[in-house]
Amino acid sequence: MLSKIPKWNLVLILVLVVEIIVFGLMNPRFWNITILLNSFNDFIGIAIIGFFVTLVVITGGIDISGGSIIGLTSVVTGILSQVVGLNIWLSIILAILAGGLCGLLNGVLIAYGGVQAMVITLGGMLLYSGIAIVLVGLSGVSTYEGISGFPMEFSQIAYGKVMGIPNSVILFLLMFAIAYILLHLTRYGRSIYLTGINQHAAEYSGINTKRIITSTYVLSGLSAGVAGVMLTSYLGSARADFGSEYLMPILTVVVLGGTLITGGKGGVFGTAIASIIVGFLQVGLQMGGVSTQYIGLATGLLLIISVAFLGISSDFKSNMKRLITPKKIVGGKG
Amino acid sequence: MKKSNILKMLMGALLVFLLAACNSEEGASGEKDKDDIEVVFIPKMTGNAFFESGNDGAQAMAEEVGFTVKYDGAPEGTVANQVQIINSAVSSGADAIAISSVTSDGLNQALQNAIDAGVEVVTWDSDVDPEYRTVYINQGTPEILGKMLVDMAAEQMDDPQAEQQVAWFYSSPTVPDQNAWVDYAETYIAEEFPSWEIVTKQFGEGDEQLSLQIGESIIDSYPDLDAVIAPDSTALPAMAQAAENKGLTAEDLIITGFASPNSMRQFIENGTIVNHGLWDVTDQGALAVYIAYYLAQGNELKVGDTVEVPNMGEVKVEPNSIQGYDYEAEDSGIIVLPERIVFTKENTNDYDF
Amino acid sequence: MSRLKWVTKQREFRTFLFLVILFVVVGLVNSDFLSVGNLHNSLKSSLLYIVLAVGMTFVLLTRNIDISVGGVLGLSAAVSGMILRDGGSMIVAIVVAILIGAVIGLINGLGVTRLRISSFIMTLGMLEITRVVQVIYTDGQWIENLPAGFKKISQMNILGINLLSILVIAAVILVHLYLTKSRKGRYFAAIGDNEDGAVLLGIPVKRYVTYSFVVSGVCSALAGLIFASQIGFISTTAGSGIEMTVIAAAVLGGVSLNGGVGTVVGATIGAVIMISINSALVFMKVPAFWNAAISGSLLIMIVVTDVLLARKSSKQAKKERLSARVLQEGVEVHAK
Repeated sequence: MLSKIPKWNLVLILVLVVEIIVFGLMNPRFWNITILLNSFNDFIGIAIIGFFVTLVVITGGIDISGGSIIGLTSVVTGILSQVVGLNIWLSIILAILAGGLCGLLNGVLIAYGGVQAMVITLGGMLLYSGIAIVLVGLSGVSTYEGISGFPMEFSQIAYGKVMGIPNSVILFLLMFAIAYILLHLTRYGRSIYLTGINQHAAEYSGINTKRIITSTYVLSGLSAGVAGVMLTSYLGSARADFGSEYLMPILTVVVLGGTLITGGKGGVFGTAIASIIVGFLQVGLQMGGVSTQYIGLATGLLLIISVAFLGISSDFKSNMKRLITPKKIVGGKG
Repeated sequence: MKKSNILKMLMGALLVFLLAACNSEEGASGEKDKDDIEVVFIPKMTGNAFFESGNDGAQAMAEEVGFTVKYDGAPEGTVANQVQIINSAVSSGADAIAISSVTSDGLNQALQNAIDAGVEVVTWDSDVDPEYRTVYINQGTPEILGKMLVDMAAEQMDDPQAEQQVAWFYSSPTVPDQNAWVDYAETYIAEEFPSWEIVTKQFGEGDEQLSLQIGESIIDSYPDLDAVIAPDSTALPAMAQAAENKGLTAEDLIITGFASPNSMRQFIENGTIVNHGLWDVTDQGALAVYIAYYLAQGNELKVGDTVEVPNMGEVKVEPNSIQGYDYEAEDSGIIVLPERIVFTKENTNDYDF
Repeated sequence: MSRLKWVTKQREFRTFLFLVILFVVVGLVNSDFLSVGNLHNSLKSSLLYIVLAVGMTFVLLTRNIDISVGGVLGLSAAVSGMILRDGGSMIVAIVVAILIGAVIGLINGLGVTRLRISSFIMTLGMLEITRVVQVIYTDGQWIENLPAGFKKISQMNILGINLLSILVIAAVILVHLYLTKSRKGRYFAAIGDNEDGAVLLGIPVKRYVTYSFVVSGVCSALAGLIFASQIGFISTTAGSGIEMTVIAAAVLGGVSLNGGVGTVVGATIGAVIMISINSALVFMKVPAFWNAAISGSLLIMIVVTDVLLARKSSKQAKKERLSARVLQEGVEVHAK
């Protein structure tokens, strides 16, 4: 079992363990398991979008529109259930589908249009949050107050527990399992890797790479939809600006998780651990008395140092050689 | 060999974690020592002159009275960030929080958890549902502030009853307080100055470059514009800068709104604007953390009570109805700051925030 | 005639065409948008994005990316702003800002080339770090009341044209010539086009990749100075979120994220488009809550149209190349 986990994931697990120990020493209340489990609610959106953005990134693309799809699905849930008066569960499903639709638009334009993913999803980011604001503006609800008044069972989505375990943790595990199985245990997953390694080669081996690429964006959109519903339930109201701050955190957990931004390599397990690391880092430093505005420093350093450490350790020997021998030849040029 | 080592290490670490987790349930809270009281002071966002000034006041008060204030906010003022910060404050064992909310209802559940955990909740600048806090330190009701905005512009006009083209310019269509002021101001305009025409409502998203650009575009696209009202601490200085770049002075275009005097002083001095308003946010921050500290000591505060505040004198808790709320309870009220300030050439140098 | 054909085939020409279309369409709605004053304004507002996009182009050409531009912009603007506010000399402020940009760029470059950290991660981490350093350095306060003399720099006109705009445009042209005509300038694109090939050709790849980050850092610092001079106050969130706009501007102007392709002229036009959309929406007098939706769909429409056009022309080129190769192979076979 252990041999199957790549080295990078071990490093991440180690970081997580160190983090838990250090933060506990800073404030012993950090070791309260209830607090830790409840804190999942605060980064679940980042994590579940991160799982599926990992798939996108492995194909060689990128999706930065997830954050604004959260806002859109939140507003769609709110308008459908509170303004139109649909059943809340039906509204949720439609909202998640709307997220998928956004992903489909991204995917089709990127895969079939051949446009660079960064730009399309940047446009998408503006467009979807724009649509959210317009929807609110047109539905006659005040744009700044948020749509509230959701039924009790809706808030149970975020606040409920199953056998003492918060729903957010269960959702985290569930979404992780889905992403893990899709990516690592199916043919579909292998096609994703192949597409990322070499799209032309994958195409020649009979994989419909365009469809594969599109599907990853759809999944990413759907996951953003799920995150949007979750966040709406957690915060008790629907607002167009939900999720707008998730852009960088999502990318951070994906790349910290060991997924290569150029595609072809990576995995969901790393993303999962990385999202917990980043989530706990936030809580732990806050509980240790550090102001939130300084936490970026820790995230930034963690990102650079851990990745540098990997680069150094993975081929430590060859690096050492390079450091010792060619220096004499190159001399002052370095 | 190597693998089993890593495995051992992991198991060991996990064991430590589990043991620690079991141990920590107790030892959570003891009796509160007066000096140990920690108030978490939460702005809507960090990096904004307004909230930083509030924090200056809060820290000064904490130092004088002898308690701890932790200033904790995220650079992006979003609901999820505030909820996360409240949760962490509660988890870390804070005694009270004083928060300027980015939303009127999104924090309810998080604040309920805080109250359940015995944390006192005070709001300042921007309120939440009154059920979820004890006292709101209010800079003025939307009526007061909306009217103030309109009057600051009207008093500069030769004939406020004549036809005037007015533009709104603030941060975004999704922020609660600014939109509430503007909503009220528009009804006030309709009553008092029916001949005014609101030609546009623009948003700078709290981004200086965008605000400057939008400001210049407003001037260019509405050549007959008479006044711009910018109740936002980024939009107002950017609007004034735009006017200065175009060579306009207060004679050509009236610009007014809410921003801190430090950010506007040079525009007053060089004649780009005549006046702008704000309340003393350092006082507001100081009052908010003092009231939070007062409650955290175990004191009760009921509607109608008065509190003696160091350097500020006596303040009185008013009922929620003054803000137009329906919710009335003994332990839920509002303290209104005594004054709002209109800054002009004469008095702007008396303030430093 | 063939000269004209060559011009229209250039990637930059298409971007320029989009710019013209944008202005004409908005101009039909509100003719003030086409006034000389507004054109001048649009250029002025775009200046700092142009400078950032030029720096970004260097990095993108080498097949890397620089996410940290907004952080460097904020930090250098804040530090030099503080020097100016406290009565320091303008030259010191400018030199300090450029040094900050160069040092951060150098760290980015060394991290990418020596520690072999992916540029995305390196600069993303650097973005977070510079932001916090700025907050610590300024103690969370805004830098306000910059001296009027410094603010005037951005407003100075020569023959009715903004001095800074002239300088920036001239610099863009010089950089363009350097990147396309000089041997060393072409190294950047060569590295991005094929890194292994560049090594074989004897190009000092690591050094030039590091240079590209230094250039981007310095450009971000210059943009920070422009920011300070134009806006007159610096918040601790100055330039946040700017990186995505800059990347989009560069891509809009034909710079490829896959390296090797693109020019600074294109990136400049891209930046003007990205920024002009904002003021276009004010001029069109649509309710402002439509802004994000409209600019998002405009951006998508432009890039999609562009790619479709590009594909059409590249298909043609491919056909020509293919038939040329067939001819050549035919010759070779005959020769055997």
